[in-house]
Amino acid sequence: MSWEQTFGIWLAAAFTLGIVSFLYRDNIFYKVCEAIFVGSSAGYWFVTYFWDNLYRKFYLQAFDPVSPHIAPWVGFILGVLMLTRLFGAKIAWLSRWPLAFIIGATAGVYMMFYFVSNAMLQIGASIKPVFVGSFGDIVSNVLIAAGTFCGLVYFFFSKEHKGVFGGAARVGIWFLMVTFGASFGYTVMSRMSLMLGRLDFLFGDWLRLIS
Amino acid sequence: MKDYHRPQLLFQIFILPLVVILSLTSALTAQEQPVIPADSIIHIPAPTSNVVAVDYVYDRGETVELTWNLSPDDTIGGRIDGYELTRIEQSTGKMDTLEVIPAGISYYKDDKLTHGHKYAYLIRSVYFGAKSSPVSSNIITPSIEIINWRLANLFAIAFILCGSVIYFIAHAKKGKKLFIRKIAGLEAIDEAIGRATEMGRPILFVPGINDMDDVQTIAGITLLSRVAKVVADYDIRINMPVSRSLVMTTARETIKEAYIGAGRPDAYNDDMVRYITDEQFGYVAAVDGIMVRDKPATCFYLGAFFAESLILAETGNSIGAIQIAGTAQPAQLPFFVAACDYTLIGEELFAASAYLSNEPKQLGSLKGQDVGKFVAMIAIVIGVLIATLAELTGSSSLENLSEFMNRLFTIVS
Amino acid sequence: MKRKIPVLITFVVGSVLILSVFFPPIETWGEDFSIFFDIIAVFAFFLGGGNLLRIHTKKAIKRQKDWGFSIVTVLGFIIMLIAGLFKVWNDGGIAGDVAAPGSLFQMMYNWIFTPLGATMYALLAFFVASASYRAFRAKNVGATILLVASFIILLGRTPLGTYVTGWIPKSLSIFNIPDLAIWIMTAPNLAGQRAIMIGIALGVVSMSLRLILGVERTYLGVDNE
Repeated sequence: MSWEQTFGIWLAAAFTLGIVSFLYRDNIFYKVCEAIFVGSSAGYWFVTYFWDNLYRKFYLQAFDPVSPHIAPWVGFILGVLMLTRLFGAKIAWLSRWPLAFIIGATAGVYMMFYFVSNAMLQIGASIKPVFVGSFGDIVSNVLIAAGTFCGLVYFFFSKEHKGVFGGAARVGIWFLMVTFGASFGYTVMSRMSLMLGRLDFLFGDWLRLIS
Repeated sequence: MKDYHRPQLLFQIFILPLVVILSLTSALTAQEQPVIPADSIIHIPAPTSNVVAVDYVYDRGETVELTWNLSPDDTIGGRIDGYELTRIEQSTGKMDTLEVIPAGISYYKDDKLTHGHKYAYLIRSVYFGAKSSPVSSNIITPSIEIINWRLANLFAIAFILCGSVIYFIAHAKKGKKLFIRKIAGLEAIDEAIGRATEMGRPILFVPGINDMDDVQTIAGITLLSRVAKVVADYDIRINMPVSRSLVMTTARETIKEAYIGAGRPDAYNDDMVRYITDEQFGYVAAVDGIMVRDKPATCFYLGAFFAESLILAETGNSIGAIQIAGTAQPAQLPFFVAACDYTLIGEELFAASAYLSNEPKQLGSLKGQDVGKFVAMIAIVIGVLIATLAELTGSSSLENLSEFMNRLFTIVS
Repeated sequence: MKRKIPVLITFVVGSVLILSVFFPPIETWGEDFSIFFDIIAVFAFFLGGGNLLRIHTKKAIKRQKDWGFSIVTVLGFIIMLIAGLFKVWNDGGIAGDVAAPGSLFQMMYNWIFTPLGATMYALLAFFVASASYRAFRAKNVGATILLVASFIILLGRTPLGTYVTGWIPKSLSIFNIPDLAIWIMTAPNLAGQRAIMIGIALGVVSMSLRLILGVERTYLGVDNE
């Protein structure tokens, strides 16, 4: 193993222990790790944005010797307008234009995206015959249809959750809780394996106690 | 952080062995190696037939659909691996080998074309490197269409929903009173900020880790404006570490407006919002540090969250903060529900700013949203009933109706 | 005026992108937006990175509490910037790949960035344990349902579930924990997921319309600056 690799592994082990020490309490090792992490990662992302976005998506496209594109200039001009905030209140308001552009575009794109993927497809998938298959299948189908219905009742804003409507909303929240519980239980295992990964690094790569 | 010792023990004695057992189980699973048949080298598969290229309608003239009859060798256990497709651009004669489509499939959608150009396709059956003679398709010219009529159902349903939202906004503008039920998590905001005032501690606002091109972040920022108004009124400190520069810029505008609105522009300070880093866990490391050092009385987590949701919420718990969270990430909602005092579940996050604004126009949009929900519920009930009756009675008219209901909510891309 | 133009921009851009879905010649405009956004984000980073440098430099100069860590942050930021922008120790020079093996940028990524990120992520194992502990003290019906469902799913995904209930006859297989876990995932869980997803979609539609129509405009700040 080269000295760089050895040095790197020791550095990585020190950082691992520094971060884990936070579980005991905030301490100087954690603070050092945090400071290094924040500084270096901010730098990392700027470098990545610079080469991926500014160089590849703007420069290479806008100054393509064969067929230069005009579209990236829209992003460039809006980006420059963002920087007007640096030059005082007199022109800083121009920075709202790119913000308005982003908000408008996000609203437009996401509205249709969510409507198709979350509403249309889910409603379509719910429209199924319930009395088919075994007794167990029928129970499941009825539960799915009723649970979706009651879940939607829970999200109603313009009607008080009282009486039958309130009862349906209560059943709806129970279904939501089952969903949350299922998701919680499903995730626990994968989170444990993350810790095993770090232990594997410490005891394998660093201390070489396990192969 | 002493609270963690007991659960940690629980983790060690209970969950860890389970993980080990599960890992071992999966490690024992082995993959069988494919067996190369003895006659594979000499067998040349039979070619396909009837290769037809059709222009894909309602697109930008970039797509052609290709169909063919399967090779006679393409049977279960038959001697064929797949079909090799080659595209020929007629004007230049340029040939591009596209890919090998697996056996049993007789359809391909080529969406890398230029409208107005002429194309033809060659298909060869392939079996362990041996290829049949090519079969050619007709020549096709993909064309561009102005309107995508295939999405007429989407347009109609979106029109009804958007129309109802816009109608109720306009309706509310006229001053008609609208009832909106109480939402517990939002009712608690004032109380949570009041607690910070009593304790003389700051408020922490985390707008998620995504940028302004995520509608959840925008929802978080619109809620920030309501929170900031109360913060400005009570004259307490708000601390907002952000992981995106654009969020920083927008949040500053939002908080500044709240302070000016409260008549206290001098109390506003740009440093209330500060950029940390774009890196997910770097940001979390810093926010955790801020929490244990500043000990905010109230923490808001409103926006798009991922794995960090639980790290933040549990750290907030360890310092005894009141926590109000809201996200539309279904996978993270359970963690917020388990660890926070109040959680805005999905739709509630988007409704929250309208609810808190108490402006008739904004509340009207919630009413319109409920109309959409009502339509969805009716569609599900009627659709399920028709589908069930069609299944039980075998009536063809009911089956047609059920089919229509399904098509209404199916998006063909 | 300072707010009217941005509101108009939001309205035009939002409306056009909604309609673009239905008109094939402009259907990719939504994808173009993501490119514009990426370019704008780089410029915005000058403000964010500037803020990072300003806050930590000020802290160090004024010798505020924990000022030493601010120096570390600034150093980490600058070293990473120099390593990446000038492609230090990069075999291909300035024309090479920024993340080329052996470059300072790549080494910092491997030995600083990766372990710190992975360990922070791994802390979730402890936090999920403490959250489970919290969930075990279920206070109401909803919390109890959450707890029971999560426990069944957790057991169902491990061999322990089979070990504990494997003896149950096939006719009562729903009480077999792995089967029960699958049933929870495919029936009640699915119902809850659907309600949440449909609700989110309607919420997004309503909020998007409020933004596009200018009903919600707090993000634009004030006029009288």
